[in-house]
Amino acid sequence: MGLKRDVSLKDFLRYKGKGPMLTFILHRIGGLGMVTFVGLHVLASFVGGRVGPAINLIYENWIFQIVVFFCVLFHVINGLRIVILDLWPKLIEHQREAIWLEWMIFLPVYGMAVYVIVNTALGG
Amino acid sequence: MEVTLKIFRYNPETDKKPSYKSYKLDANEMDRVLDLLEKVKGYQDGTLSFRRSCAHGICGSDAMRINGMNRLACKTLIRDVGTRVTVEPILGLPVLKDLIVDMEPFFDNFRSVKPWFITADPEPEKERYQSPEARARFDDTTKCILCACCTTSCPSFWGSEKYVGPAAIVAAHRFIFDDRDQAAAERLQILNEATGVHRCHTIFNCTMACPREIQITKAIGEVKMAISTGILD
Repeated sequence: MGLKRDVSLKDFLRYKGKGPMLTFILHRIGGLGMVTFVGLHVLASFVGGRVGPAINLIYENWIFQIVVFFCVLFHVINGLRIVILDLWPKLIEHQREAIWLEWMIFLPVYGMAVYVIVNTALGG
Repeated sequence: MEVTLKIFRYNPETDKKPSYKSYKLDANEMDRVLDLLEKVKGYQDGTLSFRRSCAHGICGSDAMRINGMNRLACKTLIRDVGTRVTVEPILGLPVLKDLIVDMEPFFDNFRSVKPWFITADPEPEKERYQSPEARARFDDTTKCILCACCTTSCPSFWGSEKYVGPAAIVAAHRFIFDDRDQAAAERLQILNEATGVHRCHTIFNCTMACPREIQITKAIGEVKMAISTGILD
């Protein structure tokens, strides 16, 4: 008799996979964020009365938009990296550089978007 | 220097739950984690259990999580991990005692891809000739020592032990791209199933964990491509 093979969420998060694993986790969080966003949209369309507009207020909120934009943009850029590496396996040798490139594209684009969202929200 | 080893402890005969126990040791920065485990077992606590055999990075017996990452204890120097070292068993396999896991599910997956030479050709008088270029095609994946560092660092394997795992795919790659072997199609069919290569999400934990520095994700990518195109490029 030994311990079962189960890997808990804590064990999962404690594993030090470094940069590549961080992108894997953020990719999953991004996917869940988008499902939440789309789910709220669909729910708001079906629910009437005061609840529907109240749900609209959640995803139209500028803080929520900053989170959603992170989810969408990271999911898209990271997904693109994975698709490219899957289609051209020889490029996998340069996966570290691919991740750096991904961050170099993501950070300025996301930073710019956050600036515009915050500026608009605060009446700039 | 003084090093603190925090070790995962579990004895199925006496413990309901695993725990961690710390040991303080006098060590040199060029000592290996395996040396310190031996010191603990030899001088402080003889009940500590772990696997080791060659102690030179060839047999692959002493794969464990060291400071949160899969490594071989015999290839990990104290200077690279610091003076506070946490040692735990590899993930995704049942823990039998302390740092010892049941490797049988890992070897079941390994055997499932038929990691041996298959040919219908009659045995030649001497050896089966192969050009250096043809040999170089699968050179990287011949280096695997079956330590399970890659498979047990893979979140897809943590999710399901039915996934054959990186080590099995590396073994399959070694024969799929060997031009003397004649069972590539059979292996590709096995790896095209739901438990095969398509569970790989290109996370790279396997490549980062491999003590032999095999480009595992690249090998998996090449197998995926061979399945998609039917071409052994």
